[in-house]
Amino acid sequence: MTAVDVQNVRKIYKRDSQDIVVLDGLSLQVPQGEFVALMGPSGSGKTTLLNLIAGIDRPTSGKVVVAGTDLGTLSEGQLAKWRSRSVGFIFQFYNLIPVLTALENVELPLLLTRLSRKERRERALTALRVVGLADRGKHYPRQLSGGQEQRVAIARAIVADPAVLVADEPTGDLDARSAEEILNLMQTLNSEFKKTIVMVTHDPRAASRAHVERHLEKGVLAASVERHEAVPAGVAP
Amino acid sequence: MKYLPYIVKHLRKTWLRTLSTVLAMALCIFLISALQTLLQAFYGGLDTASTERLVTRNRVSLVFPLPVAYESRLAALPGVKRVAKSNWFQGVRGSDGDMRDFFPNFAVEAEPYLAMYPEFGLTEDEKQRFFQDMRGCIIGPDLAEKYGWKVGSTIQLESTIPPYRIGRPFEFIVSAVYRVDEQKYPNHSKQLMLFHWKYLHEATQQNAAVGTYVVQIANPDQAAAVAKTIDRAFENSDAETKTETEGQFVKGFIEMIGDLALILNSIGLAVAFTILAVSANTMGMSIRERRREIAVLKTLGFSSALVLALVLGEALVIGLVGGGLGIGLASLVLANAADMPGLNGFGISLNLMPSMMAAMLGLSGLIGLVAGMAPAVSAYRSSITTMLRQV
Repeated sequence: MTAVDVQNVRKIYKRDSQDIVVLDGLSLQVPQGEFVALMGPSGSGKTTLLNLIAGIDRPTSGKVVVAGTDLGTLSEGQLAKWRSRSVGFIFQFYNLIPVLTALENVELPLLLTRLSRKERRERALTALRVVGLADRGKHYPRQLSGGQEQRVAIARAIVADPAVLVADEPTGDLDARSAEEILNLMQTLNSEFKKTIVMVTHDPRAASRAHVERHLEKGVLAASVERHEAVPAGVAP
Repeated sequence: MKYLPYIVKHLRKTWLRTLSTVLAMALCIFLISALQTLLQAFYGGLDTASTERLVTRNRVSLVFPLPVAYESRLAALPGVKRVAKSNWFQGVRGSDGDMRDFFPNFAVEAEPYLAMYPEFGLTEDEKQRFFQDMRGCIIGPDLAEKYGWKVGSTIQLESTIPPYRIGRPFEFIVSAVYRVDEQKYPNHSKQLMLFHWKYLHEATQQNAAVGTYVVQIANPDQAAAVAKTIDRAFENSDAETKTETEGQFVKGFIEMIGDLALILNSIGLAVAFTILAVSANTMGMSIRERRREIAVLKTLGFSSALVLALVLGEALVIGLVGGGLGIGLASLVLANAADMPGLNGFGISLNLMPSMMAAMLGLSGLIGLVAGMAPAVSAYRSSITTMLRQV
């Protein structure tokens, strides 16, 4: 079954009077449970593609179907609701809310559900446990290291149990050791929790953890590297 | 309600900015509450002014008196039921004329006056005691409480109006403390003192003429016609009259200061607009600083409408907390303001009524919402990718 189906998508931005083609008739299929790394130089359209898959941007033309939903058919309100249930977004700079504790940050997406406060807290704690930070629930982002912040951000991304996780350079702001921990965690989410992951990265070491590497050049998919098994932790490509 | 902790945490994060905005709002609501209460106190008498009482004064000015002889002529006019003399005495305690201790006091023709003013709650015995003592006076309950006066107490007052100055203070004996039925007469002053006009007249060697005549009419529907009849009766005399309903007279008296309503409302409006601008700027600053956070919320699935509601919620909390503080401050200050120099002469009660409190709380919420509207709409409209790119 296909988790992400991008069909002949074009994305054109207008800058002053100029049309800038970022994605040019791109198609991409990601089967359910797959871990895909999107690579390519700056300006190749990786983040734009990720944004389309996450439903935070819309294509100029073409179709994006994620977790069985054609995102083009949804209104803004429906799309917001869909995002809250079906996709988890992991940012490069974590983007935790500074005034909230780790637990409250993780709980945030659950505010949009009908869960009781107690249920929300339990689920948020479970998500923190998955990322190994159950004991840091009361800590504020400023009291955490970069790696820990990103783990909290991952807990926030998975707390609503979405089918698809999208990550935009999740290790881009981390030291090597923390990056390793985050990649291990993402591999675990993929292998044990069966999450489909689409990750944008510049880092070949990070990309080697994915089942498939797709390369973008000027808005089109250029090359693909497939592996049956992702490279285990600590083994350089 | 589940979003309230989120809102409060944001406000606490920038506590200095929040506090200054809340205080600005509190000051705004305090000022508007105080001004409106003052206005209500001054003009409140108009609502309860009797429609069957007219006031006749000198056409030129309230400063000039009317002849004593007018009373019998007034009483004989058609439609007139009762007439009573009334003079503003402006007496103060002590001989130095210190107005800080002032309260309103009138020399009145006691029997007809009290007959047409049921607002002064007195038993028949109390009235008789007052009528029979030439130096007697009746005082309001607030005066009794403030100065510890009771029936039999002696009061010495010296007028600041030249014809009423006799080289020594007037001495009065308290005959009774009147009561006010607050249900029927909510705006009636509890700080008045009434004494006998005859006492004033005789003590001044008959120099004191009549300040105003209060005229009770038989049919309130005929007020305008009777007023015209009275004024026509004294046309081309040395002291022409101007007769108006009690409400019109009170309004005219207040407006001797100027158009109080216009002045006070203009001040209130200016203050409200300034605070609105300050709050809007603060809210705008707060939202601009949090564009990335708003983008994150929207990415997590918060709808644009919910983000708008959260921003407005913050503005509303600031408005309501500031408003609450302002109302509290106004209640505290107004409770003691009626005795302040400059206000004590009007005999008004400055109490912040529950309806005023509710209106002020509503106004503070409204100012908060309007101030938050522009940043909220900006947060509502902004696209996630634009906000993430900008920061």
